Amino acid sequence: MSAVMRTTLATLLSHYRPHPGQLLMLLLGLWVASALWSGVQAINASARESYARAEALFSSDLDHVERRDDAPLTLDDYLALRRAGVPVSPVIEGELELADGESLTLIGIEPLTLPGGTPLARQDADAASLRDWLLPPHRARVAPDSLDLARSDARLPPLEVDSGLPPATLVTDIAVAARLLDKGHRLTRLMIAPNRRVDLPSAFVRTSPAAPASPGQLADSFHLNLTAMGLLALVVGLFIVHAALGLALEQRMGLLRTLRALGVPGRTLVLALGLELLLIGTLGALLGIVSGVILARLLLPDVAATLDALYDATVSGSLTLPWHYWVGGFAITLGGLVTAGASLLWRASRVSVLALGQVQAWRARLQRQLRVQALVGGLLLGVAALLWWQLGSQPGQRELALGFTLVALLLLGTALWLPPLLGGALHLLTHRLPGRAVLSQWAVADLQLQLPRLSLAMMALLLALSANLGVGSMVGGFRLTFLDWLDQRLLADLYVRPPADQAGELHEWLRQRPEVDTLLPTRQAETRLIDERGEASPVTLFGIAPEPILRRHWPLLDTLDGREAAWAALTREAAFVNEQLARRHGLEPGDVLRLKASRGVVTMQIAAVYPDYGNPRGEIVLPVSRLAARFDAPPGTLGVVLAPTQAREQALDRLRGALAQRFTLLGDAAMIDQQALKRTATEVFERTFAITRALNALTLGVAGLALLTTLLAQAETRRAQLAPLWALGVSRGRLVGLQLVQLVGAALGTALLAIPLGLLLAGVLVAVINVAAFGWRLPLHLFPGQMLLTLVLAALVAALAALLPAWRLWRIPPRQLLQEFAAE
Amino acid sequence: MLRLSGITKTYPTPQGPLRVLDSVDLELAAGESLALMGESGSGKSTLLHLAAGLDLPDSGSVELDGQRLSALSEPARASLRRHRLGLVFQQFHLVPSLSVRDNLTLQARLAGRDDRAWTDHLLARLGLDGLDDRYPEQLSGGQQQRLAIGRALAPRPQLLLADEPTGNLDEAVADQVLALLQTLIDESGCALLVVTHSTRVAAPMGRRLRLARGRLLEPGR
Ligand SMILES: Nc1ncnc2c1ncn2[C@@H]1O[C@H](COP(=O)(O)OP(=O)(O)O)[C@@H](O)[C@H]1O
Ligand SMILES: [Mg+2]
Repeated sequence: MSAVMRTTLATLLSHYRPHPGQLLMLLLGLWVASALWSGVQAINASARESYARAEALFSSDLDHVERRDDAPLTLDDYLALRRAGVPVSPVIEGELELADGESLTLIGIEPLTLPGGTPLARQDADAASLRDWLLPPHRARVAPDSLDLARSDARLPPLEVDSGLPPATLVTDIAVAARLLDKGHRLTRLMIAPNRRVDLPSAFVRTSPAAPASPGQLADSFHLNLTAMGLLALVVGLFIVHAALGLALEQRMGLLRTLRALGVPGRTLVLALGLELLLIGTLGALLGIVSGVILARLLLPDVAATLDALYDATVSGSLTLPWHYWVGGFAITLGGLVTAGASLLWRASRVSVLALGQVQAWRARLQRQLRVQALVGGLLLGVAALLWWQLGSQPGQRELALGFTLVALLLLGTALWLPPLLGGALHLLTHRLPGRAVLSQWAVADLQLQLPRLSLAMMALLLALSANLGVGSMVGGFRLTFLDWLDQRLLADLYVRPPADQAGELHEWLRQRPEVDTLLPTRQAETRLIDERGEASPVTLFGIAPEPILRRHWPLLDTLDGREAAWAALTREAAFVNEQLARRHGLEPGDVLRLKASRGVVTMQIAAVYPDYGNPRGEIVLPVSRLAARFDAPPGTLGVVLAPTQAREQALDRLRGALAQRFTLLGDAAMIDQQALKRTATEVFERTFAITRALNALTLGVAGLALLTTLLAQAETRRAQLAPLWALGVSRGRLVGLQLVQLVGAALGTALLAIPLGLLLAGVLVAVINVAAFGWRLPLHLFPGQMLLTLVLAALVAALAALLPAWRLWRIPPRQLLQEFAAE
Repeated sequence: MLRLSGITKTYPTPQGPLRVLDSVDLELAAGESLALMGESGSGKSTLLHLAAGLDLPDSGSVELDGQRLSALSEPARASLRRHRLGLVFQQFHLVPSLSVRDNLTLQARLAGRDDRAWTDHLLARLGLDGLDDRYPEQLSGGQQQRLAIGRALAPRPQLLLADEPTGNLDEAVADQVLALLQTLIDESGCALLVVTHSTRVAAPMGRRLRLARGRLLEPGR
């Protein structure tokens, strides 16, 4: 480094010695921005790593062999095929319930016949380990993240760790799996190496399974949501950085000119400022990334629970961070810093040496700047309106990204409008105040002067407040709708899940019981939906019994000719589809579904579309009888509606007791009452939005910090401006009060703009983002309480931020104020 | 050493272009001292800025040691400034976040010529010894201006350009600072161009010129 560069850099940095607050504020902004951002990214990276493991396991490129009649595969089929010389290998797969309500995906394989090159087969197997695997007590392989979970279950064979397996997955010998899963002779799959050419017996057919929808794809929208929240925090944090950098530069304008006069070339000066940014940025990014990882550790269990509930996606509860995560976090923080600092570097590069010591004429430029801001803001809002209109008229897959673009445009456009609007409001106010109110007039005029310095912090506050209100309204509306929907869907008092061979008996027995009013049997099956182009996609079939109580309560969104007709149609040949499926395939009542059934393809008309919140899959509802006859669906959960009685609890307990006595196979886990189900569902719901709310609250905190740092940074200048008033006989208490009123007033003005913006945001979230991300559309609810809260929060944040500077002003000795006065 | 020939400088103003300097010629030999006098607003600072290469004339040429400034790039002019020139301003323009010693050596360090013995000598001569670790705000006005003069002399420039160096000081202090400036200049053999509107400041200089209505005149008229 040359002498000029070294000395220039040292001189520039010396500025922070008497002004440590500015450095702190800069670091704080960077820290907050990069901590929230990298926290979110850590969660996403960890989840992706889990998905990648799952995909590697399940989308192996082995072919399947199925029966032509689509009947379930059994051990006999396997033996028949092997005898015919077909090198198939059997697999059993199922969910193994553990004692504490957790579950593991259990995969049973037959290592001797399993084709190589699949993650299911252990690559480094030798003869000894093969023997251990095949002979009792056998072995099971489990991902490191789920080792403890698996250890807690005594039924499992000795465990080996395999880091190639996805979380919550256990691979063991097929005999062990069959016993644990109680599968009898049933097999889940028969697999064959894709390049083996063999002649199959005529009862069998070979299929190349389409790649299953990966959990990663399903959950992508969720991660995009998180990313958007992280981005918001990043932007708000960069607002602080920008404010701090601007202040540090403005206070060093004189220094920059002096250095130029002493012979520092302009280029060197800008380069040195850039280096300073880099130094501080590196420090801030390091701090931020470390805190981000800590934050992610705290949030990950909630996220994992949400992903499991919403998308059936299993994500490890412990962080796994690839190297590019660290690089990415660094890059985004430094990139943000450069974005925030670029305009300042540009300004620094245009410092004229000759204006040496001259006060900057920024006030003259202000009016023009405000006009440009209003213009650009209007432009952005115009584009946003256009985009919204477009999105409304053509729903599609790219909606999500466009939805977020729309949100960004709305936020940015309105933020740009904030300073001109506040300025205009203050201008109006000066003309409205009576001539006697001298102090009030001064306060308003003074606030007008302060506005340019405050506006960035106020913009950050606007973004945080409106995001808070928007997300709050969306979540609140969702909660109302969801709870309503739960009430409508969970009609039975008790849900019983009998073993397949006892289902009929249980059904009969329950029908005889005096406590029981109605039985609501269900069945479930997986099949393929065939669209017009002949492409098949997986879909869940859900069988219900169209009893009067269901007909009364089951929520429907859209029907052909009303509820009654829809139910009547369902009992004949029609079906209902859930909203997700309808949106994904552009279906509506009256359309005809083509489904792959046990014997050929069946068609049925759609009679209604129903809401199905929280379900990631497309689903079709049929009467149980039809599902059993056409799709071989086994009996599922049985809903028991009790007869109306005073003593519902006792009746329920009596029934549970009798059930447990009569059907010994029924464990506690097989009987769930409605309350417990609702509790679980509500819990899932709360966890889903816990992260959203946490990030929102943090963002609001960051905006408060931005305001505080701005105030602290300009406290000295403020004192010099207030000293003359004090000299004219305004008490310090009065001055402190005025300051508070000014700030809270500005914040309330900001909140008034944040309310309509927040509602718009809620509208976009509900009508565009949720629809694209989850496949369902919620009604938009307005909560006056939330709007009021926005005002209160704004006032609170402003008052809190003003507290420290006000306290300092309060504590300052009169002698010092006198000096300030003299210095002016 | 310094040669200005046919210098014209016009500033755009809301009332139309303002011609501040009109075909000004000026020559200063090595070691020579010159006082540039004139009313406030007569263009003295403008001329000084042109001489320092902080700005370029509309027409005419400024030569420093035979090098035409307008032919040099901005970095080259900056380099010339830090190696050959010393600048002293009416408002001192010290760096508030640097200690007295660091302020004194700032330009010398920029020029890569920090000489500890010379700095100590300067500190003593300026009456600032023992104050090394203070900061500018802890100094009196006279001390601050002395520090500014020291900063300009620390890199051992060939030409010192001072713009109203005593304008912000009261008379007694101004006299001291001026006397000190004079002795230090004599000691170092550096040329001096001092801008002032005070005859007291101008009196001891080797030559005096007056700037009026954009032209240079001999004094006494
Ligand atoms: N950057 C500028 N733009 C416009 N006018 C200027 C500028 N700098 C100086 N002037 C004008 O030029 C005239 C001479 O200024 P200056 O050289 O500072 O005079 P002096 O130093 O003798 O007081 C003054 O009228 C001043 O207002
Ligand atoms: Mg002047």
